Amino acid sequence: MSDAAHAHGHDDHGHHAHPTGMMRWLTTTNHKDIGTLYLWFALIMLFSAGTMALLIRAELFQPGLQLVHPDFFNQLTTMHGLIMIFGAIMPAFTGFANWQVPLMIGAPDMAFPRMNNWSFWLLPVAGLMLFSSFLLPGGAVAGGWTMYPPLFIQGGISYDLTILAVHIMGLSSIMGSINIITTILNMRAPGLTLMKMPLFVWTWLITAYLLIATMPVLAGSVTMLLTDRNFGTHFFNAAGGGDPVMFQHIFWFFGHPEVYILILPAFGIVSQIIPTFARKPLFGYASMVYATASIAILSFIVWAHHMFAVGLPAAAQLFFMFSTMLIAVPTGVKVFNWVATMWKGSMTFETPMLFAIAFVCLFTIGGFSGLVLAIAPVDIQLQDTYYVVAHFHYVLVSGALFSIFGGIYFWLPKWTGHMYDETLGKWHFWLSVIGMNILFFPMHFLGLAGMPRRIPDYALQFTEFNQIATVGAFIFGFSQLIFLVVVLKAIKGGARAADRVWEGAEGLEWTVPSPAPYHTFETAPVLK
Amino acid sequence: MSDPASMADKPNGKYRTAAMLAVLALGLFLFTLYSGLK
Repeated sequence: MSDAAHAHGHDDHGHHAHPTGMMRWLTTTNHKDIGTLYLWFALIMLFSAGTMALLIRAELFQPGLQLVHPDFFNQLTTMHGLIMIFGAIMPAFTGFANWQVPLMIGAPDMAFPRMNNWSFWLLPVAGLMLFSSFLLPGGAVAGGWTMYPPLFIQGGISYDLTILAVHIMGLSSIMGSINIITTILNMRAPGLTLMKMPLFVWTWLITAYLLIATMPVLAGSVTMLLTDRNFGTHFFNAAGGGDPVMFQHIFWFFGHPEVYILILPAFGIVSQIIPTFARKPLFGYASMVYATASIAILSFIVWAHHMFAVGLPAAAQLFFMFSTMLIAVPTGVKVFNWVATMWKGSMTFETPMLFAIAFVCLFTIGGFSGLVLAIAPVDIQLQDTYYVVAHFHYVLVSGALFSIFGGIYFWLPKWTGHMYDETLGKWHFWLSVIGMNILFFPMHFLGLAGMPRRIPDYALQFTEFNQIATVGAFIFGFSQLIFLVVVLKAIKGGARAADRVWEGAEGLEWTVPSPAPYHTFETAPVLK
Repeated sequence: MSDPASMADKPNGKYRTAAMLAVLALGLFLFTLYSGLK
């Protein structure tokens, strides 16, 4: 793709006047502006929910109750999960999609720019609703991010507010997904066939289908919660003939594909970074595409591995156990391909590559602990212990979040026109990777020893590993301030970035100037 | 996607794609509610 004809964008001259200041951001239909909004929103949510995590870890530094009331502790764990998933990770990936998908496929913008604006601005509304629930009588929701009845049927007004916020965030995701799929299917540059698309575009195409298939299911399940709470229905109320376990089935039919919604774009980002810094084409491109699609399809037939402890029939336990293990096959293909791409490559280790390599190593640890949990008899022992917390944080922090950091370092020079501070970037990486492992690795031992999750107090024998984890949490948490400094410095100034920022970079986005002009590819580039 | 040369110019294609996806999403939402009634 590097030999694609240059289709330089140009400045706003000749276009009608754009609003400035706050009105620019409120009314913008430009994919780059909206991408920037998504990324800043995600960063604010990351710091907010990260602060909640530090409060949780501070409380757990020693046994007994120190800092927060147990009910507030439950609110913190619930809101931390909800905000990190729906407010930080998902919007961050959507920010990448907004910035990069049109640039990578040679499109002038997203297919529906006005709907794109609406998709974003629904999110701060939902975020405000979630945060304001802390101020309501009874405080914020405290029943866990999974919203299980009966707790979620019994809570106060903040539960209704949260259900409404989830509806709004779901609507935003569905509209965003429609935009992304339509853009990719209809607006690719001439010559850019599906099997020539960059892996990041492929992973987002598949992720957007997953979103369209699962978000309505989540919306349906929380709608039933809402009617159970307010309109006298008994979908999930056992006293009225309903079935609370049915909620778990419906929720996890959404929830497990959601896990892949959070990780497939990460696979895409890493698949762009590793070939660039290994200076080799991605090994096994076609197998990467098919592996991504396989993971997405398999994600719909594994949901009940989250529910082994509810008393499933043995045949169902076996089915969900083996189908879950099957996901290791396409995931293994991906890890093999990333390693094979690096094999005998001319590798350099700039910050994006460091995050990508850490992703491959640490995400694999999270994948392996997932395989352990897939074994039904083992899962029944480890259900609701810190082993599960360790598992999904290895997937979501060293997996999803590290890929986001890697992607931002990778494309920040293209977005801002300035190189970031490499020294600070490396400090951010090493403190993050060390802090993250000190934080989450001891949780495996805590879980194996039987420490339950979602508790503000614990038995004395768990003290040491909890203290280690809390130290790691503060190292990891405060090292994110370095990331903020790096981003602000790059926005403000720094060494000029070349059009093709990285020596090994391939793709249409590197054919436009740095920073990418406000309008790009108004004339479609032609790929040879 | 049969003709790569025509990809850049599909003014009606995008509305058709979006409409089909929106109908799919709405159908799944209603089916979830229906499955809860049984």
